[in-house]
This record gives sequence, C-alpha cells and structure tokens, in this order.
Amino acid sequence: MLSQLERLSRELDGRYASDAELAFVIDYVRSFNLRVQTYQKLQELESTIVQQACVKMRAIDPGVFVGKNQEDLTRKCVRDLVYGLRATALAVLLNDPDALQEELLLWLQTIMRSLGKSHVCDIMYSALQDVIKQHLTPPQANLVCPLLESNRRILGPTA
Amino acid sequence: MSIAPAIDDTKHKHPKKHNHYDFRSFFQFDLDKGTIIDWNGSQNILTTEDFIVGLVEGLQEEVGDASAATMYTIGCEWGQKDAFFFEKWFEKEFDQNIRQTNLLFLLETWWWPFTAQGWGRWEVDMGDRKQGFMFINIFDSAVARTLGDVGKPVCYLYAGLFAGFFTELVRKQLSCIEIQCYSMGETYCKFLLGGQDRIDAAAFWMNEGATARDIEKRLRAGEVLR
Repeated sequence: MLSQLERLSRELDGRYASDAELAFVIDYVRSFNLRVQTYQKLQELESTIVQQACVKMRAIDPGVFVGKNQEDLTRKCVRDLVYGLRATALAVLLNDPDALQEELLLWLQTIMRSLGKSHVCDIMYSALQDVIKQHLTPPQANLVCPLLESNRRILGPTA
Repeated sequence: MSIAPAIDDTKHKHPKKHNHYDFRSFFQFDLDKGTIIDWNGSQNILTTEDFIVGLVEGLQEEVGDASAATMYTIGCEWGQKDAFFFEKWFEKEFDQNIRQTNLLFLLETWWWPFTAQGWGRWEVDMGDRKQGFMFINIFDSAVARTLGDVGKPVCYLYAGLFAGFFTELVRKQLSCIEIQCYSMGETYCKFLLGGQDRIDAAAFWMNEGATARDIEKRLRAGEVLR
C-alpha cells in the first residue's frame, strides 16, 4: 500500500489520479478492518503459532534445528521465525508485499543461502501456513498465507 | 513534483538491525547539508552514467593502455581500505570477530552495501578454494552496464576491489582478473581470484582467445604456465 502510494505520487504530476489508479486505495479501505483483525490475531496468537510451527517443523524434519556441528539451533530458528512472522503481519496490515521483499526477503535470501539454511526456510514457511490455517478464519488466512508462500518460494532452495 | 525522502532515523532506533539495505534505511539524506550518509557512516555521491563514461574514457585519453592498470590499482587500494573499514563495522554490528564468522556469511555481509549502492548483485563460487582460486560473478556491473558491448572486459575497478579486499581478508597476496564481461556481450561478469601465477596464466589464455569456460577447465585440470 505505502509502496503503491509512493509510486502513485511519483506518477501524478499536475493531474488527478484516474479511477483505475485509485482502485488499490479503495480495495485497501475495504479490506482494512480485516487486515487490522488479522494483524491483531497474529499478535495475540504469536507464541502459540510459533510453538506449533516448531513442532510441525520437527515432524517434517527431525534434524531441522540441529547445526552442522550438532549444536542446537532452536533458539536462532525461533528468533528468525518470529521476525519473519512479524514482518509478514506488517505487510498484511499495510498491504505492502513489495516493502517486505525489499526490506527483508532479498537480504535474507542471500544470508540463508550463504549459511546453507534455505531448506529450513522452506520447512518453516510451509509449517507456518499449516498452523495459521488452523487458527485464523479463511478470509484472514487468505491474507497471510499467500505472503508466507511467497516467503517460502523466495527463501527456499528452489528459488 | 518530486518528493525528497525524509531523513530516516531507523539506524538510531534500531542500531542492531541487520536487514537495513533497502533504499530508505541504508541511505540518510540530509537535505540541509546536501549529504547522503549510508548506514555505516560513509558519505555517498550519486553519479550519472555520463560520469562513469567520462571517468573511463578520460583516463584512457590521459594514460592510454595504462588506464586498465590504473583502474585496477585504484580498486586494489579501495579494497584494502574497505577491508579495514568492513572489519570495524561488522564487529560493531554483529559483536563478533570477522575471523570467527562463517566465511560465506561474512562475504555476503561485505557485499551488501555495494549492492545497495548500485554496484550490482554478486555470487561467490568457492568450490575451488582449496586449489587456491575462486570465482566471483557480478550481475549488473555499473561500469559494464554503462559502457555496453565494447567487445572487451572493462571492470578493472571491480577486479582491483576484489584483489585488494581478499588480500587483506586472507592476509595473502591475491590478484584478480575479469575473464568474462557484460561488455563482451555476455550476460554477466566473471572474475577469477587467486595467486599471481594463476592470474598470469588466465591472462595469457585469454589473449589466445580462451573463454571463461576454457579457463575454468584448464585451472581445474591443474594447468599452469611453463
């Protein structure tokens, strides 16, 4: 939304925006209440979602939180999961997937690849989607899950 | 109408934030002073493609064929200085010594400011590190993208930058040569980094018409100049 508004303000020079150019603002206003509810629900359920996502991740790959030297990476993974979830929640609230990509994902993609952790991101964002679908209403999940899926595709090994 | 970005105080609010390479977070525009200071405190200037053309062609006119060596040397000094600068900001940001850090993570972190500044994205291929050489790919080299297809490598500044930085990082004299360039009609630039003997061999093979792929094969087969 903010990225789109910024683009619009750059494009408009001495003229009014057309109806087509304003469509995204109207869509945003219409979806605003749902976005706020979704954001608040993610905030409220964060610890439950994170805990259940970790259980699911372990079920998919029992070694997902174990490092190369057998060290326990649970704390780091939970930290990354929480950070990613909060950034995604903000992108839902502001309807700004472009900012999410520019501010976090493009950087994180290179870092996860350098650390050889792309497969963990794949599992993480897949598990998060499953858990979120259990806790959110379908309209709420429809706002969050496409972003989580996009995170998975960008950060995962097939990217 | 244009909207000038406001001064972003993300750094002051979140000094330990690592994903700070988007345009608004990385650069702080001080409209009163007319300065652009980046996250690590360096002063930046915006240049046009004309500036790059002027720099490369002006140097060529002044010193002829020595311009390539001059650009390379400038790059080397830049890379050496940047290695010390990087060590300081990395340790401040991550509370960790660079020598106790995962090498690939360290390198990605080193290159991110360059990506944010428009020097292009990169890819490091360390598969041959144990043999004493490695390859770096640069996508969207600012120099090559500006000069276009001129039929020869042009990214001497980058080659020097890599040689200088890696020499300081590994504390061993390394050289670098661009073996494939966007300005030769390729889709991206490729650099070979290693000891002088290998760089000399690659330069010799290139003069004989070898492609980057030929050079990779010959190096991996252990060929050297006699």
